[in-house]
Amino acid sequence: MKQKLIIISALVLLLALLAFMVKDFFFSKPDSINPYDLELNTIRNGDTALTSYSETGQIKTSLDEIHGLATGTSGEILVSGKDGVEIFEATGTLKNKFNIEGTAQCIAVSKNGSILLGMTDHIEIWNNNGTKLSQWNSCGADAVITSIATDGDNVFVADAGQKVVYHFDKKGKLISKIGQKDPATGVPGFIIPSPYFDLGISKDGNLWVVNPGRHSFEKYSFDGRLLSSWGIASMAMEGFCGCCNPSNFAFLHDSLFVTSEKAIERVKIYNPDGSFLCLVAAPAQFEEGTKGLDLAVDSDNRILVLDPVKKYVRIFELKKP
Amino acid sequence: MKKALALVLLVFLFAVQVMNSYGIQRFPKPEFESGYVQPETLMPDPRAEVLAIMDIAVLLVSLSVVSWLVLKKRSRNGVFWMSLFSLAYFGFYREGCVCAIGSIQNVTLALFDTSYIIPLSALIFFVTPLVYTLFFGRTFCAGVCPFGAMQDLVAFRPQKLGSKLNAVLGVIPYLYLGLAVLYAATGTDFIICRYDPFVGIWRLNASFGMFVFAGILLILGIFIARPYCRFLCPYGVLLNWSSRFSRRHLTITPSDCIQCRLCENSCPYDAIDIPVTVKNPEDKRTMARKLIFIIILIPVLIFAGGWTGSRLYESLAGVNAKVQLAKQIVSPPKDSNQPETFEIQAFKSSGKQQSLAFAEASAMLGKFYLGGWLLGGFMGLVFGGLIAGLMITKHHTDYIPNKGTCFSCARCIDYCPVKMP
Repeated sequence: MKQKLIIISALVLLLALLAFMVKDFFFSKPDSINPYDLELNTIRNGDTALTSYSETGQIKTSLDEIHGLATGTSGEILVSGKDGVEIFEATGTLKNKFNIEGTAQCIAVSKNGSILLGMTDHIEIWNNNGTKLSQWNSCGADAVITSIATDGDNVFVADAGQKVVYHFDKKGKLISKIGQKDPATGVPGFIIPSPYFDLGISKDGNLWVVNPGRHSFEKYSFDGRLLSSWGIASMAMEGFCGCCNPSNFAFLHDSLFVTSEKAIERVKIYNPDGSFLCLVAAPAQFEEGTKGLDLAVDSDNRILVLDPVKKYVRIFELKKP
Repeated sequence: MKKALALVLLVFLFAVQVMNSYGIQRFPKPEFESGYVQPETLMPDPRAEVLAIMDIAVLLVSLSVVSWLVLKKRSRNGVFWMSLFSLAYFGFYREGCVCAIGSIQNVTLALFDTSYIIPLSALIFFVTPLVYTLFFGRTFCAGVCPFGAMQDLVAFRPQKLGSKLNAVLGVIPYLYLGLAVLYAATGTDFIICRYDPFVGIWRLNASFGMFVFAGILLILGIFIARPYCRFLCPYGVLLNWSSRFSRRHLTITPSDCIQCRLCENSCPYDAIDIPVTVKNPEDKRTMARKLIFIIILIPVLIFAGGWTGSRLYESLAGVNAKVQLAKQIVSPPKDSNQPETFEIQAFKSSGKQQSLAFAEASAMLGKFYLGGWLLGGFMGLVFGGLIAGLMITKHHTDYIPNKGTCFSCARCIDYCPVKMP
């Protein structure tokens, strides 16, 4: 009796195995879920308790495409994009708008108020009234200019295409190239898988450049010496992840770093030593797939975020306690 | 002693697996900290040819040693230790690849697809065990096949199933073989590899379903010894055929059988044919009637099987990627929110015309129609052979191993009191 029971049970198990094989092979449906897809929803909908800023305003732009954001000497907000530049008052009122030929991927304002536009392979200088003052030489057929920073005398231009930073004088004369890989001086070289390559000048007069492939910031002297770097490659809130992040950054008045990322669209603030401080805008506040969240900080220490999908300049201010 | 050793080994194997699973749950993925330099992407070199030759050499030496142990030394202990070695080498070291069972598909694909070049090792792993079996019986199953070794370790309480149940369940490997050949010949899938039960354990990497599959098979193996070998293994079908014609085969007794019946229950695989004494010999008329019945029955079963198989060709072809793609093009999901499958996305991005996909699917259906006839006909022949086998009584006076189903494991030898002179 016991043996019979064992045999029957074993046969049932054997049949169950056969049934599993038949069902799995003949009746399993093609899967529409990519098993290799990077699951970002957990992060995208993750912890927003660290958000210390709130959105207090939006400025609607009218350009077909918007790419660059900067603040002017008198508190204006400048937006560059396809075929034009728009200048807004700090209140959001349109002050001026002028047409350009082509797309200005990035924009900066010098101390004398002239506007520097990064036009893919060259720099153009304009004034507030929409008059083109000069055009510098092309940086090369492979150039993809993505960022400009100037302190008045020096102009630094990030070229994602050739993975280098150009150091120009204010007249457009090339002084040096910064950041090219040089094991002798410990310069690791820029890793730039996609055209997101930002730079800025800190209050202490040093050049900070994002090395997006390394998920880090690198600090250079104006003569091109690598001074320091920081960065955390991580999927966690404290780090940067993906192929190339952060995509953009700006400095707050107290030298804190404001950073923006793509893929996990978020804006964060870091201390000058690179430690994470707080969240400005969580991924849920952006359309999924938003790229190129250019940043600027105005005279009131408000954080301006260029949202190229919604075509807004979005204004974030520190939450009041 | 051997059972205790086998139990310890089994517990160790499962303990390793459990520790691994625990480790995966316990620790989060590593985060690369600042300063980490991404290593350059390296393409791994293909496995060195010398290692493939080593696999072949190990196969040949193992087969020779096991055949010698079974036929000359008549040593169950030797076979047991060789099977452990094979489990370690072909199972855990080579991770179940290259494998004689799966090589059926490589050989089939090479025969039907001229663009496929079969690896020499796969060809040799297919042919060599068959050749050895033709000379020495299924010594490959005894101590070289890691699948057999794995199941042999857990055969603690084998139950006798009886000849009829064995015969009926023994049809499954024929169907599996037929399907494996059909799907390999059409370039659809290597189903033997897909449902390889133990490769996940050897590689410590399988889907949850396949781990459960392997676990159930091993639990089953406690009571039904070597369930995969007996009731699933498609290569076993070929070995069974070869072994029936083996020049030398394991014998229970080295000399004359003394009818002591000690070996009667020694085989966990029900592979000992007990003596059949002739009490009422059939008259010639009955025998002639049986013969005529079989001669008529087999072609009828072949045709009926072929016709049934041909009716199933669309279902059989349903798993083919080309047929599936055409189906998806013809019947897109009704729910517009449902995302397109990857196949459809890939097809659309390829820029190919739909007519091309339909033509390829149509050609594939044609192959499956023919394949359905052949597979059904083959199964008809198998059923015919099964019925004929049950109708024909083979008379013999001694306890002998069934040359087709005996795995030459040499267990029965130890039960025989007659020793070599």
